[in-house]
Amino acid sequence: MDLRFDDLLGGTVVGFFAGIAFFFNGFRTLKRKHLIENTPTSKVRSLAMGQVEVSGAAAPWKETLAAPFTEHACLYYSYTIEEYRRSGKSSRWVTVDKENRGVPFLLRDETGAVLVDPAWADVDIPEDYQEVSGMGNDPSTKVQGFVRQKGISFEGFLGVNKKMRFTEYHIAPQDRVFILGTAADNPYVKEATAIEGIADVMIQKGPKGSCYYIADKSEKECLRSHAWGTAAQVYGGAALTVACLVYILAQMHLF
Amino acid sequence: MVGIAIVLVAAAGLLFIGLLIYGIGIYNGLIQVKNNIKKSWANIDVLLKQRTDELPKLIESVKGYMAHERGVLEKVTEARTQFLSATTVAEKAQADNVMTQAIKSLFAVAENYPNLKANENFLQLQGRISGIENEIADRREFYNDSVNTYNIRIASIPDLFVARMMGLQPEEMFKTTEADRQDVQVKFA
Repeated sequence: MDLRFDDLLGGTVVGFFAGIAFFFNGFRTLKRKHLIENTPTSKVRSLAMGQVEVSGAAAPWKETLAAPFTEHACLYYSYTIEEYRRSGKSSRWVTVDKENRGVPFLLRDETGAVLVDPAWADVDIPEDYQEVSGMGNDPSTKVQGFVRQKGISFEGFLGVNKKMRFTEYHIAPQDRVFILGTAADNPYVKEATAIEGIADVMIQKGPKGSCYYIADKSEKECLRSHAWGTAAQVYGGAALTVACLVYILAQMHLF
Repeated sequence: MVGIAIVLVAAAGLLFIGLLIYGIGIYNGLIQVKNNIKKSWANIDVLLKQRTDELPKLIESVKGYMAHERGVLEKVTEARTQFLSATTVAEKAQADNVMTQAIKSLFAVAENYPNLKANENFLQLQGRISGIENEIADRREFYNDSVNTYNIRIASIPDLFVARMMGLQPEEMFKTTEADRQDVQVKFA
């Protein structure tokens, strides 16, 4: 058996296992799609404790955050800073820094408002801002200020700009949000002073294994993206696994 | 030949695992939608009981003012008794409709008694009961959505085959009467 372990073969072995991972992750996506489909949307006024699905407009509660690159007032943000790196013949975007942060906010529908703590949620929001810097193209002033604070340099050898990509995602006040989470006691309300009703409830991460998903799109759009995600991961993962296996076996002269 | 056999076994293995996980997913999904119905009914039942518990206080607070409206008060008492003796979902739904109508009539008649309308205790009870009524309406909608999801799933392919093996039967919605859907205008002084 003559097996030459080069970059391509290494990549194929990684692809084989990545395919299997995609395949199984596809079923996790399918499980969440079914959960969204099976759970009727509750009105805020009549939320019951336990797993709930709600939809409405996000609104500030006590404070807002400033989004890192746009400095827009928001309730949740995440960002990635990536650098374009070359290694031999291949090149790819490498994540240099990423972070997410959120503050408790209110979700308001036509019947009332409920507090939401986005901590530990799987937040699915499209990018709100992206810019790419490179040679002769400085990052914007706001981005420069933020990366300096983080101690990240966008300049490389001899002060020439590195090719970098800055992406921001955020949930702003008034954004429509869809949430599948757990309604439980509101820890910010003391029992003795609690106003009866929805003020006692907060949507949060539930017990281990429960789903906590926040998206700034409609339920229909969430279902559509989950359907695509399932198909892409299950079929794509299986195809990738089989294709990589064929290549590995061909390299082993078993084909 | 060996290579082809390995690839075919791997593809068949993935297909088998995929179908197995999918089948387990359908089974778990059906259990989940069935439990959603039970849970959403329990959530309505809690509110129905809360409202029933408020009724003796309501009657107590109004009977001094509405001595000449015995018929209205008796209807509320009868509706409460009917609810307390109801055991099935259908019976409770029926009793809920009767009670909702009786309470609406009582609040409408109360409009004719200015002293009663000025009574703090009555206004508080009226506010609480109206709030519970609204929550019951929301949760009834939620319950019916749960039943609808369940009924559609057990009748759709491929869930139908698993549902038949599990012996699942369609569930009934929480029906409201036409009169229950009509709003009674209650004006405050």
